[in-house]
Amino acid sequence: MKRFSQWVLVTSVPKVRRRSRVTPPWWFTLPALLLFAFVVLVPSARGVYYAFTDWDGLDPELAFVGLRNFTDMLNDGDALQAVWHTLLIAVAITVIQNGIGLLLALGVNSTIKTRNFLRVLLFAPAVVTPIVTAYLWRNLLGPDGAVNAVLGPWGRDWLGDPDLALWMVVLVVVWQFAGYSMVIFLAGLQSIPREIYEAAAIDGTGPVRRFWSIVRPLLAPAITINLMLSIIGGIKLFDQVYALTGGGPGHATDTISTLIYKDAFTLGEFGYSIALAVVLTVIVAIVSAGQFAVLSRNERAAS
Amino acid sequence: MTIMKKSIPVGLAAVLLTAACSSGTNANSDSGGDNKTLTLASVDQGSIEDVVKAFEAANPGVKVNFTTSGADQYQAQIRTQLSSGTAPDVMTVWPGNGNPGATYVLAKPGYLLDLSDQPWAAKLPDSFKSVAQYDGKTYNALFGLNGIGAVYNDDALAKSGLKAPTTWSQLLTFCRDAAAKGTPAYALGIQDNWVTQLVLYGLAATVVFGQDRDFNTKLAGGQATFAGSAWTQAMAKYQDMSKAGCFQENPLGTSYEASQTLAATGRTLGIVQGNWIISLLKGKNPSGKFTMTALPATDDPATFLMPAAAGAGYGVNAKAKNKELALEFITFVMSPAGMKLFNEKQGSLPTLPDAGTTVDPGLTELTTFVRENRTVPFMDQLWPNAKVQQTMLSGLQEVFSNQATADAVLKDMDAEYKKGE
Repeated sequence: MKRFSQWVLVTSVPKVRRRSRVTPPWWFTLPALLLFAFVVLVPSARGVYYAFTDWDGLDPELAFVGLRNFTDMLNDGDALQAVWHTLLIAVAITVIQNGIGLLLALGVNSTIKTRNFLRVLLFAPAVVTPIVTAYLWRNLLGPDGAVNAVLGPWGRDWLGDPDLALWMVVLVVVWQFAGYSMVIFLAGLQSIPREIYEAAAIDGTGPVRRFWSIVRPLLAPAITINLMLSIIGGIKLFDQVYALTGGGPGHATDTISTLIYKDAFTLGEFGYSIALAVVLTVIVAIVSAGQFAVLSRNERAAS
Repeated sequence: MTIMKKSIPVGLAAVLLTAACSSGTNANSDSGGDNKTLTLASVDQGSIEDVVKAFEAANPGVKVNFTTSGADQYQAQIRTQLSSGTAPDVMTVWPGNGNPGATYVLAKPGYLLDLSDQPWAAKLPDSFKSVAQYDGKTYNALFGLNGIGAVYNDDALAKSGLKAPTTWSQLLTFCRDAAAKGTPAYALGIQDNWVTQLVLYGLAATVVFGQDRDFNTKLAGGQATFAGSAWTQAMAKYQDMSKAGCFQENPLGTSYEASQTLAATGRTLGIVQGNWIISLLKGKNPSGKFTMTALPATDDPATFLMPAAAGAGYGVNAKAKNKELALEFITFVMSPAGMKLFNEKQGSLPTLPDAGTTVDPGLTELTTFVRENRTVPFMDQLWPNAKVQQTMLSGLQEVFSNQATADAVLKDMDAEYKKGE
């Protein structure tokens, strides 16, 4: 965390000190690049090839089918629905998780006595494996679970109702990772020099104005990191969905990732499944590149 | 991401297995005798261990290196191993077609050894032969069979003062009475989507196959469809049961695990499940007694059929490193001693008549139905691809949550069926 707050400091106040350094020769990166190519790039590229075949994961004879897997996707209601669910989940998680994370960070950054205890408590869920959290919530949200026991007559079939199940997935992810966003925001908040607050207080600003004109711009790097992490995490969400609902009822909570898994390992349609994975990769790449471009422009404007 | 996660254990297992094979060959060259190491992969967690022990005891000096895993993981692993030539000598193979580790799927590309000349192959009853074979040759040593029916918690039933129904009309009355007493008739845990099919199979056995035992042949020949057959009646009866209050509230939020607790502790009077459920229910309620009967689907009990099908068996790798020992193991599994051991551990019935297996007293009715040839295989075992069943499973969840109609689901199944292999 310490390293991170230093980084935030350096990027947010770039003009303070800039060391002049000799640029190291590019071939210093060669060993790392070769390893990366061998472990990631080459296998991925070879994997992409299968997206254009009808491979079933077993038969050594496979036929090249061109773009058929991709055109099939356009006619596959389940796949289109899964893309929609994925985007919905990603946006909902990004907005809610970071909203709550920011409020929590502002709270535990204040001078309340129990702040250290609260920081640990709020971050604790992020330490647990997502699959464990999901099974826990699956029991809590069951028809006879603790949630319904507390709610009594207002209890619902949270995971069995197709209109609610998707939001329960979002709830579980936000519950687990709001503390994670909080920690990153907190690091950003602590890098804001106290003098700026004092100067603003002397100028007579209220808390809202202080947040909007000082905290928000100086927090820009932390916001960038948090939005990137949560939107990418949301788009490729798998564990929580699979453990909570298995994509059901029906296909009501299927995401691209759960479909990839089902198509490959339950149905043996590896070619189609890999084509879906390629689409997922493209979506992640476009969204994160776009988001990064917008946010880093804001960051520059803010600093 | 998932694919990466999956491939790590698969890769590891492959390495371990190759290591095991090569160490076996080394030992061989030292002693100068036969290769004494067999490799085996299985999904029969909890029973294969004892079978391996007994096999090793019966064949001194033989070592079986085996791995066990859940069905999902196993299906992914075995396909990778077969296609890369690192598969074990003996492996779990499912009967018939319709899943990624099934006999048709693995035998077609030539990965399995032909077992037709084994003495037990000719003795298998016809209903199992059809799913142990591909193209007229036997590839799968099927040792056990399972049935689906209504399983009652005897104590809960006695306490309610109700009697287990023996006709369809009685069933609906039974459900209404049971619901009125606050203990619904059957626990239904369809959050796990494979459970959705069990009631439907129980009904379809009588409703579809009672009228026409050759329905599957007609379906395959294109003379029949799901949407244009008695499958619509089976679907309608499933929904009638739901409307009559046969199941506890919120079945879609109830897991398989939770449904077992309901039935075991008497919060429902029973559960519609396979015979394997009896040992699971006894695990949750050791003093309980559980009895399985056919699920009534018409008002004429003489026409009742029960779904009963071979469970996963064992096949031999066509490129087995140790073919002789592999065949010896298969012979042991199909011998009365091996079959008794396996089936008593699994709570299933033997596929060969002379196995001397002690069957749970709660399964008397199933045993009778099997003996009288009043069973039909699980419907999916002869469907041409895995998609038909998966369409049915998620479709039934959609029917229960009003996202789809039963007719639409059957039409979707027809569409997937027509796509063939």
